[in-house]
Amino acid sequence: MKARAHHDAGADVPDLAELCRIHEIGIDLIGRSHDVDELLDRVLEEYEKRLSELPSDALDARSDAKQPGSLQKLRALVMFATQASALREKAVAASELKRRASMLEDANVRLKAALEEAEHARGRLDGVLAALSSGVMLRGADGTFLRANTAARGLVGEDDDPVLTRLIASGVPKDGEAEIDLETASGRRTLLIARRAMAKDAGSEVILVTDVTQRNRAMEERVRLEKLAEVLKTLSVLSHKINNPLTALLGRAQMLQLHKGADPNVAKAAAVIEESSLRIAELIRELAQVVKDGRQDALDDLLDMNFRVAGGERS
Amino acid sequence: MNLRVIPEGRFVRLLMSGCEAIDSVNAAAVKAEALRLLGDARDVAVDLSEIEFIDSAGIGVLVALFKNSRLKGGRARFCGLRPGVRSVLEIIRLDQIFEIYDDVAAAVRS
Repeated sequence: MKARAHHDAGADVPDLAELCRIHEIGIDLIGRSHDVDELLDRVLEEYEKRLSELPSDALDARSDAKQPGSLQKLRALVMFATQASALREKAVAASELKRRASMLEDANVRLKAALEEAEHARGRLDGVLAALSSGVMLRGADGTFLRANTAARGLVGEDDDPVLTRLIASGVPKDGEAEIDLETASGRRTLLIARRAMAKDAGSEVILVTDVTQRNRAMEERVRLEKLAEVLKTLSVLSHKINNPLTALLGRAQMLQLHKGADPNVAKAAAVIEESSLRIAELIRELAQVVKDGRQDALDDLLDMNFRVAGGERS
Repeated sequence: MNLRVIPEGRFVRLLMSGCEAIDSVNAAAVKAEALRLLGDARDVAVDLSEIEFIDSAGIGVLVALFKNSRLKGGRARFCGLRPGVRSVLEIIRLDQIFEIYDDVAAAVRS
């Protein structure tokens, strides 16, 4: 390599390669080093070596009679120092680049770890969402659909985004809830309660969807059972109250039939009264059994049967 | 040449007096005595305020002191440089390698 001499060293200084050849200056030695401390050590070693080789008057401005070659050796040292300084700056810059690259690498590692943690968190969130019986749908800050859990898909169908849009268009207020009678693409009707919760900081929102069809059915069943219990209780009281006079009526009818010399018409009427009383007693016994069982169908059957026996029609 | 070491905080001040030159005549002796006095000291403030003249051998002494501190994991700082000494360091670019301060106070403070 042919490098030109530095102007500070004088116009008649030979080129650097020549100086290196004459004085064995190890430019390549330090050129290969990118470690600042190592480079400085080498520079200092070269300084010590070069300085020890210099005649003592080489740096003495007061001396006019320098030894032959002193000027050339001094200029070689200056050239070396100039190159060393430049290389040192280069090494410092390289070291800084290396440090920044290391920082970048560290940041990259941390970012990767954070992404992995976020992925794990997302997995855990998916697990939680999957375990929820309520439907959960997430919408981003820009209004786009993000995800829905299994329960939500089961309630509103696979076609999430349009359903979500319809849910919101149905008038579910922000940070509020509404009951929605939804008909999915498959034609299934579902009564839903949708609740919109705005995540203010994130700008996104969570929509909870609960199927209240079963809940409403349960409520209706409870009302029906309460009514049934009320009817059965009434029947129980009535049966008890009827049974006492019925017992007396039956007893008297049987007495009339046992009375010797009675009017045959009276005896015949007494037999009819006894038969009717026994039928009433049987009916009361059946009612008591129905009350004891507490079943709607048994009550229906009893009422239906007796109504038909009586020749009536159910409304 | 008289050499003295004076504690200055975590630094040791190495004062050179009694002779205004470090040259080929006394360089070897100054280097040996300075290294002996410094012993295990790591951080050194070399006070050159009384040195008027330095030649290549004297510069070699300064390089040796600088390397000595570095080898111990410390730092050598040069202070109180007179124009003649400073210009020699500038000529051979050691001013870009050495840590140079106006005086001892500045050297031990920073």
